[in-house]
Amino acid sequence: MERKKFKLDVSSTRTRRILFYLTLIVLPILVGVICLCIGRFTTTPSETLSALGRILTQDIAPGDTLAKIIRDMRLPRIALAILVGGGLSVAGLAFQSLFANPMASPDTLGVAAGASFGAVLALLFDANTLVTQFSALLMGFVAVGLTLTIGKGKGADRSLTAMILGGMVISSLFSALISLVKLVADTDAKLPAITYWLMGSLNDATWYTVMFALPFILTGIVILYAIRWRLNILPMSEDEILASGSNVNVLRMTTAFASTMITAACVSTCGQVGWVGLLIPHICRMAFGSDNLILVPASVSFGAVFMILVDTAARSLSPSEIPVSVLTAIIGAPVFIALLRKTGGWSL
Amino acid sequence: MIFEVQNGCFAYPHGRKVLNNISFSVGKGEMLAILGPNGAGKTTMLRCMMGFLKWNAGKSMLDGEDIANMTQRQLFSKVAYVPQAKNAALSSNVKDMVLLGRSSHYGIFGKPGSKDRLIVDKTLQSLGLSAMANRACNELSGGELQMVLIARALVSEPQVIILDEPESNLDFKNQLIVLKTLHALTEQGITCIFNTHYPVHALRHADKALLLDKTGNVIFGPVHDVITEENMQRAFGVETVIGHIETPHNEYADVLAINTISEETNHMMDERKESEGSHMTQNSNEEISRLATLSIIVEDRENAEKINAMLHECGKYIIGRMGMPYPQKGVSIICVVIDAPETVISTLSGKLGQLKGVSMKTTYSKK
Repeated sequence: MERKKFKLDVSSTRTRRILFYLTLIVLPILVGVICLCIGRFTTTPSETLSALGRILTQDIAPGDTLAKIIRDMRLPRIALAILVGGGLSVAGLAFQSLFANPMASPDTLGVAAGASFGAVLALLFDANTLVTQFSALLMGFVAVGLTLTIGKGKGADRSLTAMILGGMVISSLFSALISLVKLVADTDAKLPAITYWLMGSLNDATWYTVMFALPFILTGIVILYAIRWRLNILPMSEDEILASGSNVNVLRMTTAFASTMITAACVSTCGQVGWVGLLIPHICRMAFGSDNLILVPASVSFGAVFMILVDTAARSLSPSEIPVSVLTAIIGAPVFIALLRKTGGWSL
Repeated sequence: MIFEVQNGCFAYPHGRKVLNNISFSVGKGEMLAILGPNGAGKTTMLRCMMGFLKWNAGKSMLDGEDIANMTQRQLFSKVAYVPQAKNAALSSNVKDMVLLGRSSHYGIFGKPGSKDRLIVDKTLQSLGLSAMANRACNELSGGELQMVLIARALVSEPQVIILDEPESNLDFKNQLIVLKTLHALTEQGITCIFNTHYPVHALRHADKALLLDKTGNVIFGPVHDVITEENMQRAFGVETVIGHIETPHNEYADVLAINTISEETNHMMDERKESEGSHMTQNSNEEISRLATLSIIVEDRENAEKINAMLHECGKYIIGRMGMPYPQKGVSIICVVIDAPETVISTLSGKLGQLKGVSMKTTYSKK
């Protein structure tokens, strides 16, 4: 049976292609602007837009609370949501291709557990935000390095199954280490901070955080965007990848490196945010088919939109902030089940 | 393009030697069938040939150039590989799947353009697959998927195509479709190398054959020299009869397995033969020649040329020849008397029998 899916190929007109990419760019911006109006300090879109104008022209009066709230709180938060949402989605997509496994997520190689441990360790020693984030980033890479060493077979070849198993081992090792840190942490002063951080939230978003995450996430996305056609070959057998004239190890390692960099940067700025990397790529597959030429840009865009919406809900649904990872799971699980029922199963 | 392996040896680390001193060469537009029992190392050999596994000794060569000195892209823009069509879990559609065959023409950051998509459309059309262009690969039948994988190999515009058991797991009709496709490719000058479990497919379609046995020994040569009752028995441990199926128009080579032979018996027979000085070998050229007549009726004028060329190749064996057009029925009748080793005669009659619109029979003298 032929499913109707959006296709971009030689038969689709140039206008249609441009329109598609334009939508992908405009959609997160539009959703972002709408969500700027939402919050405990409610505004109308026209007020928000004029405030945005004042921010851009740097013409903010001392008493202009709205412009300050938007500039210092909502805008960086939405920018970070765009980065994290888009980044985690495309990282999940790449890992699913890499492991030829629809269940793979950005955490498959143990990045998230490693990065969390790095952050938690820094929090234990009362480190400032910068140190915490660097520590998280570093431990994320250490964890992946360990996973790859475990997964390395004899000689140069790495077996994918060994890599997945290695990721599980390293993940559970770092989870244990996190528990250890929690055990020794001061129950009044540090444990709440650690626990809250682990739940994942964009609450701490500042322009500074955005600037910290931006280079890593953007580089990762650009790399994956550049090799996006090759991601179509990645799930195939090693012989088929070789016969496509690609260097298997370079291709796999590039993909793993870019995705790891994105995930580590996300975890180090806003903790563990689950589900995005699994949910968004599959929703995009259901909508657009399996061609990574389309899936990569679509995942970035839809991941960003999803994250803005969920984070806006997280900060405005209740008087106290709901951790965003709790919301992604609560929203993600049923939506995902419904989608699965409708389309009938997992596939890449 | 000549594909060659010289003295290839391969053993898995800490394992027994799988492939021992393998040499063969296939020329432009030739078809080579690789046969051997399960576990003899057919797939290993294919993987070694293309550099997926490194030969421990020896080398693969493409037009005299060692493939180890070529980059992955250089190699695979000339050579294409068709893996076994296991049920693909990928739900990408046929067009996208076939398009991936173009990737050997691009670097890691490359993207296919409209030119590549046109090549895909043309290839699908030439293989009669246009109707399934937008279907998902995981919804195809085994036969359809195999054809899609062949299409994917062809869009890279290769000069050599290497296939791993392309007709295994396919039904009667799809096997024939795949084999006919390969045949058509050789006519376009593409060299085909394939693994097969079916000696009869080799015998009917291939020009050359390579037979592996479990001890790593190998025989290579023209297909009718390699696939003999004696060699099949020795390599597979099966009592084999090679004969013909006759129709009113043609006769077709066939290979029948009659009885399995226990390994000891086979081994004893080997030893006896070794003491007699004979071994699993291709029939030597000093074999006694036989006298035969080939009677041919050609309905298709275009094929008359091809037949002439084939007969010309065997010119030195032909001792008499008669050609007669019969315009009333639109046919030509050719009669050839040949005095040649039996394998030459069976190769010739096998090839002639493949041609469309040709009825052909061979009569051997009694001695």
